[in-house]
Amino acid sequence: MSTAPVPPPPSAPFKPGLVARAIAAFSGTPGLAIKIALLALTNGVAVWAGIVLVDRSRWIALAILALATAAIDFIYLVPRSWAVPAKFLVPGTIFLLGFQLVPIIYTIEVAFSNYSTGHISTKAEAIKQIKINSLEAPESGKQYEMAPARDASGNLVLILRQDPGGDVFVGTKKGLTPLPKSAVKVDPSGIPLSAQGYTVIKGAELFTLDVQLRGFTVPTKGDAAIQPQGVRQAVELRPTLRYDAAKNEFVRISDGEVFKDNGKGSFVSASNPKDELEPGWKAFIGFGNFDKLATNPLYRDPFLRVFVWTIVYASLTVFLSFAAGLFIAIALDKKGLRGQKLYRSVLVLPYAMPGFLSLLVWAGLLNDDFGVVNKLLHVHIPWLFDANWARVSVILVSVWLTTPYFFLVSMGALQSIPTELTEAAKVDGGGGWSIFRRVTLPLLLVAVAPLMIASWAFNFNNFGNIYLLTGGGPYSGTSSVAGSTDILISYTYKLAIASGKGSDYGLASTVGIVIFFIVASISGFTFYRSKSLENTR
Amino acid sequence: MQNSLKRMWASLGMLAAFAAVLAAQATAAHKAVTIVIWTDSDRAAAVTKVAGDWAATNGATIKVVTKNFGDIRDNLGTVAAADAPDVITAAHDWTGQLAANGLVQPLYPSAAVKKQFPAYTLNAFSYGTAVKKLYGIPAAVENIGLVVNTKLAKAPKTFAQLESEALAQKKKAHLSFGIAVQQGSGGDAYHMYPFFSGLGGYIFGVNHAGNLDPSDIGVASPTLIKNAGLINKWNKEGLINSKVDGATAQNAFLKGQAAFWITGPWNADTLKKSGLSFKVMQVPAIVKPSVPFLGVQGFMVTKYAETHGVGSAATDLVTNFFASASAQTQLAAANGRPPANSTARSSDPVLAQFSAASKGGVPMPNIPQMNSVWGDLGQAWVKSTKGSGATPAAVAFKTAARAIANKIG
Repeated sequence: MSTAPVPPPPSAPFKPGLVARAIAAFSGTPGLAIKIALLALTNGVAVWAGIVLVDRSRWIALAILALATAAIDFIYLVPRSWAVPAKFLVPGTIFLLGFQLVPIIYTIEVAFSNYSTGHISTKAEAIKQIKINSLEAPESGKQYEMAPARDASGNLVLILRQDPGGDVFVGTKKGLTPLPKSAVKVDPSGIPLSAQGYTVIKGAELFTLDVQLRGFTVPTKGDAAIQPQGVRQAVELRPTLRYDAAKNEFVRISDGEVFKDNGKGSFVSASNPKDELEPGWKAFIGFGNFDKLATNPLYRDPFLRVFVWTIVYASLTVFLSFAAGLFIAIALDKKGLRGQKLYRSVLVLPYAMPGFLSLLVWAGLLNDDFGVVNKLLHVHIPWLFDANWARVSVILVSVWLTTPYFFLVSMGALQSIPTELTEAAKVDGGGGWSIFRRVTLPLLLVAVAPLMIASWAFNFNNFGNIYLLTGGGPYSGTSSVAGSTDILISYTYKLAIASGKGSDYGLASTVGIVIFFIVASISGFTFYRSKSLENTR
Repeated sequence: MQNSLKRMWASLGMLAAFAAVLAAQATAAHKAVTIVIWTDSDRAAAVTKVAGDWAATNGATIKVVTKNFGDIRDNLGTVAAADAPDVITAAHDWTGQLAANGLVQPLYPSAAVKKQFPAYTLNAFSYGTAVKKLYGIPAAVENIGLVVNTKLAKAPKTFAQLESEALAQKKKAHLSFGIAVQQGSGGDAYHMYPFFSGLGGYIFGVNHAGNLDPSDIGVASPTLIKNAGLINKWNKEGLINSKVDGATAQNAFLKGQAAFWITGPWNADTLKKSGLSFKVMQVPAIVKPSVPFLGVQGFMVTKYAETHGVGSAATDLVTNFFASASAQTQLAAANGRPPANSTARSSDPVLAQFSAASKGGVPMPNIPQMNSVWGDLGQAWVKSTKGSGATPAAVAFKTAARAIANKIG
């Protein structure tokens, strides 16, 4: 490629390239057919989604869907010149909204709520469930085998056989009436099969009674009542709590203890703030989670420690990988090196292998009693069991995974630097090192710096490397949520799934937002700096 | 451009036709009494068959959805009501979390049904801060035991015997551990529990109402701390080693290097195929009986069953049908576990040995605060049994107890 390209003779006929010919091939009827097929598919999916939305009464979502689908059809079918740019913008915009904006909005919404174990439903659902959970079998409460039946006038009644005992009754909404034992036939497990004067409901009709059975209670003594459970049993139950909708509070019937709505998604006892009714509900708590993160030492102290380590981890990984990648790229850049392609292919391998596999393999290699690394080196280093060695391991493995990337980009960037510049520097009497430092490196950084920032942001949130290699461990000190190699994102994950009483998605989303601002501001700042680097060129 | 307008009408016609076809398909889904069951892949076939029998005699239909076992718990909290299951396969230790979230319904099986289950299995599925209620019907039970390679060692009668035999084999086979029990850098409180209970530790105490009390944490109980020196001794002589992970423990035993392996019925088939002569037993008592954690798996009715109008049908399926001896035998066999219903005995000799090793065992605490315990308790073992440089056990367990109390708050 050392000879200069010869310009084509002016008389040569115009020959369109492959891409142009391919586009031309699709611009007739085949193109239209493909367009219609794709649009039909889009519309079909929209109709299906519309039916699902109608089914769930999501009218706002349905309106948006209808408008969006109509807009897409209009843009692609109506031949107007102003619609042409929209044709290119619409698909990207839809994916941007769907995969970026919507998750961000959800994350923000969760960060300002108490969404966590015990607080996942709406208040109405929580009240309903508290009522169900508050039911208690009264002392000497009875259990019954049951068969729903209809009386002579077709009203729903329950044929009940007390268990144990075997006395039989008919239960109506008014109460319990004994029946003679001889009037009711039961099966071997005691469930009534037939009753004189009543038609026992059987077969498929039984399950269609669901709503009626649920509302059917046979009052017994005081506020206790017999309630059907399923279609074959009934139990005498009484509530232990009473809900006062006007005062928005529950009252414990036995001692009059009041449980008030604490405004944070729970009904809490007036005398003991630790005594709350389960379940609670998802509620807006303003800056409560941010406050917790900033002031509660249980969360704040590990957060700061993890934050510092995250910066160290991401920075060291990027700089060491870049240095190693550049070194190898320069070493292999020598012209006429034998087996150059082979070396390059082998060096790219760690990058080509799925990272998850490599990480799991590394976790095995680094085991200090059974791992290959210690056996080969004849040492006994606690790679994964000592806090500082674990940090070294995490960085080493990350560098191993990232170096090929920087090797590739450095190799490309090196080849784009004109040889005249280095030759001119040589003529000016520059040595190897000073040429590299003053000519090659600055030119290289123009191309590579933005990639380094991107890689830094990626490693800042490199969940897989930490989680698969050390799981964030080993743990030291009193915090067991944050281990010594945990970075912010893996710490967030642990907060989300295993903190206190189960999971705390609200707090985890809050940390997620904080991470976003950290990464955004540092990346923004460095991009700004690297732009000024470009200007010095 | 005249042509394109014509084309446009043609294409709109095609679009309408295509959409109509799809719409017709979507509305074809009918609304009979259909019960949606979420279960794991091991049990999917058995659940389909057993629930299908029930559905056929009762005029209902069954839809079985296969999920990763752990996803059943996690997805139940986030699924849209329309896609939600009416019945789930569940582990008993999810009970607290699911009930605290208001996702599952209390069940009231008849006295005749309750009688067929060991009390602990029903207790394992019961939860309530105020009124304790039953939220699940047990189907299968599991626990770990000490597997002894009878060619390499005699079944130990005392812990001292186990210790000396394990150490003798360790020396003979040049191993770095005596008993193959899995931990790894992440820790494994479940597999270490027999040692923990044998030394007098417990997780949560029980309050006067008979509920687990999250403010009474026994991770550093006085008995355990008094006997913590034993852990330091085991660490020094290499009886247990926290660097042993699941794969290492299994390999060492199956290759005939380690004489003792602590594992559960999920490895019963592996053991049978290995051709080793082995016996499963409970770990001999240390200062207290070395009981294992008990796990119970079963079925729950979700709050969505009621929303879907199938609440009574789902309750009937779970409390009457899944509880029956014949259903339990099939369901448990599908997952390689002994059934929970005591009238449905498993005929498998290895599973029977595992069952025998459960004597006196403690069901894993089912309150949501247990989430705060696993990691710390596991780490206390990792730190105190990692060989040289290990933290003294008394310090490690006291630290863990403090951290757990902090998290629970």
